[in-house]
Amino acid sequence: MLQSKKFTVTTLVVYLLLTLGALVVLYPFAYMVMNSFKFGPEILNSPTHLPSVLTLTGYQGVIQNLDILLLFKNSLILAISIAFLNTFLSAMAGYAVAKIPFPGRKPIFAFMLATMMIPGVLFLIPTYVMMYRLGWVGHFYALIIPSAVSIYNIFLIRQFVMGIPDEQIEAARLDGANDFNIFISIILPLTRPVLATVAILSFIGSWNDFLGPLLYLNNPSTWTVQLGLYQFQSSIPGEHIQELWASMTMITVPLVLVYFLLQDQFIKAFANVSFK
Amino acid sequence: MGTSILPLKQTPDLASTHTGPNLRVRMRRGFWGYLFISPWILLYAVFGMYPLLLSFYLTFFTYSFVRPDDYVFVGIGNWVQGILDPLFWQSIFNILYNQTIFIALTNIIGLGTALLLYKVVHAGRIFRTIYFMPVITSVVVLMAIGNYLTSPTGPIQATLVQWGILSGPIFWKFDQWLPMPVIAVLNSWKWFGISTVVYLAGLFAIDTQYYEAAAIDGATGWQQFWSITFPSLQPQIFFLLVVNVINGLQMFTEVFTLGYDVYGGPQHQALTPVLYLYAQAFDKSNIGYASVLGLLLAGLIAILTLFQFRFLNKEQA
Repeated sequence: MLQSKKFTVTTLVVYLLLTLGALVVLYPFAYMVMNSFKFGPEILNSPTHLPSVLTLTGYQGVIQNLDILLLFKNSLILAISIAFLNTFLSAMAGYAVAKIPFPGRKPIFAFMLATMMIPGVLFLIPTYVMMYRLGWVGHFYALIIPSAVSIYNIFLIRQFVMGIPDEQIEAARLDGANDFNIFISIILPLTRPVLATVAILSFIGSWNDFLGPLLYLNNPSTWTVQLGLYQFQSSIPGEHIQELWASMTMITVPLVLVYFLLQDQFIKAFANVSFK
Repeated sequence: MGTSILPLKQTPDLASTHTGPNLRVRMRRGFWGYLFISPWILLYAVFGMYPLLLSFYLTFFTYSFVRPDDYVFVGIGNWVQGILDPLFWQSIFNILYNQTIFIALTNIIGLGTALLLYKVVHAGRIFRTIYFMPVITSVVVLMAIGNYLTSPTGPIQATLVQWGILSGPIFWKFDQWLPMPVIAVLNSWKWFGISTVVYLAGLFAIDTQYYEAAAIDGATGWQQFWSITFPSLQPQIFFLLVVNVINGLQMFTEVFTLGYDVYGGPQHQALTPVLYLYAQAFDKSNIGYASVLGLLLAGLIAILTLFQFRFLNKEQA
């Protein structure tokens, strides 16, 4: 009797703390959405209150001043190209290092793993120098090509492919399939869960990237959503305040909606863990 | 319960399939193998190996985009300048100051939240989903919101003043000591979801029999935490520390989008190593020197990572 009462009090406290945490996490998002529907002076004078009048002037301003559709288009071109190329090429390499016996596979894979340890900051300057000399600065492919395949994703896919029984691959081979057929018709369908992880990581990585576009996309017609937002932010304080909150909401809401649809895949991709 | 937490610890068991097929079949398979990894090899040679060598080479020259003819060999001059540069060391100090607070906060909040979620039977998934939301949101957006929330006229300071915790509004961005802790707090708000989920997976992997046995022996919840839970979470703690140090020391977007100049403000209070590297490369157009700064920072990250592998990775030691 006493035991069960103590249990309910503890449970109540746990739920209270979790709810408090959820409010702390959600408040900034609510603050953003709330302010995006206010007139400029109201944002400055009473930022924490609910809007007295709902207005869409912020959103109208974004569409008029910022060419938000172009920003979305640029961001999508980059993120989709990178997600597609990276998933496909990393899957090919992941299959090769997991299942195809070729001379030198072991040292090559060990070398790949070693390169994972090199921090990205080392590549920042020399890659820029290289792109500058190649004349690639200002073009999307300066961001797409270097991100077309990545060792971290190769590794994730390899771990998954290792779990596919050799017999299944051998059986296809006896039926006359070569490794490319096997890759397309057996490996790709069976590795769908890990491919989703890799695609999400690549897509969000590119969508949220700021430094890459800042370095390479110097022409406003190539700006991404993140760069466009930054331009609003760095203009005169308070001047474009309605547009700032509206554009942040427009950038964040689609992503959050996709996240809610695919939440388990997202969490798995970012934390590299899965739950039953 | 799949927990593939430590990617580097797997043993490559590749020593199979050396039996059977004749040489021609083996060669044909070898062809496909090389073809399938060739994109990585090609791209890594061009965008990995070559830039690394170029970076090292450039450290011995003064080189600038603005004055391409001004390409002078200076020997180890850039290296000496880098090692003696007080601004570089201030940026290192700043980022270590920031990361100490950030790592402590994300891990404590993450572990605390995971312990709470572990106890919950209902609605755990909803909380998990909410806590993970900031992780997928862009740094640019979150720093902009954080900037307004923490500004002298924003709601957080207004509340703290109302409660008497602050005597008046604080312009923290221009303080000598406050930017790094405030950014650490904003960042732990953004990233604690990852620690939560990683620790939660670790908690679920602990055999509940240990707790039952401990409860029979009369161990309190606190004792159970320190003797069962905490030691069992060593792999997760190790993983999070390694990832945090490698990523955290390369912070750039946070300080850049908060509106600091490329030198981190008048007192360099928000100068991070990558921001300083960016300033040298794109403000001073001092490419050779920026390359030195990149290599010095990478060296520091390597030393810290090796140190963690040596002293914290109990499973491998």
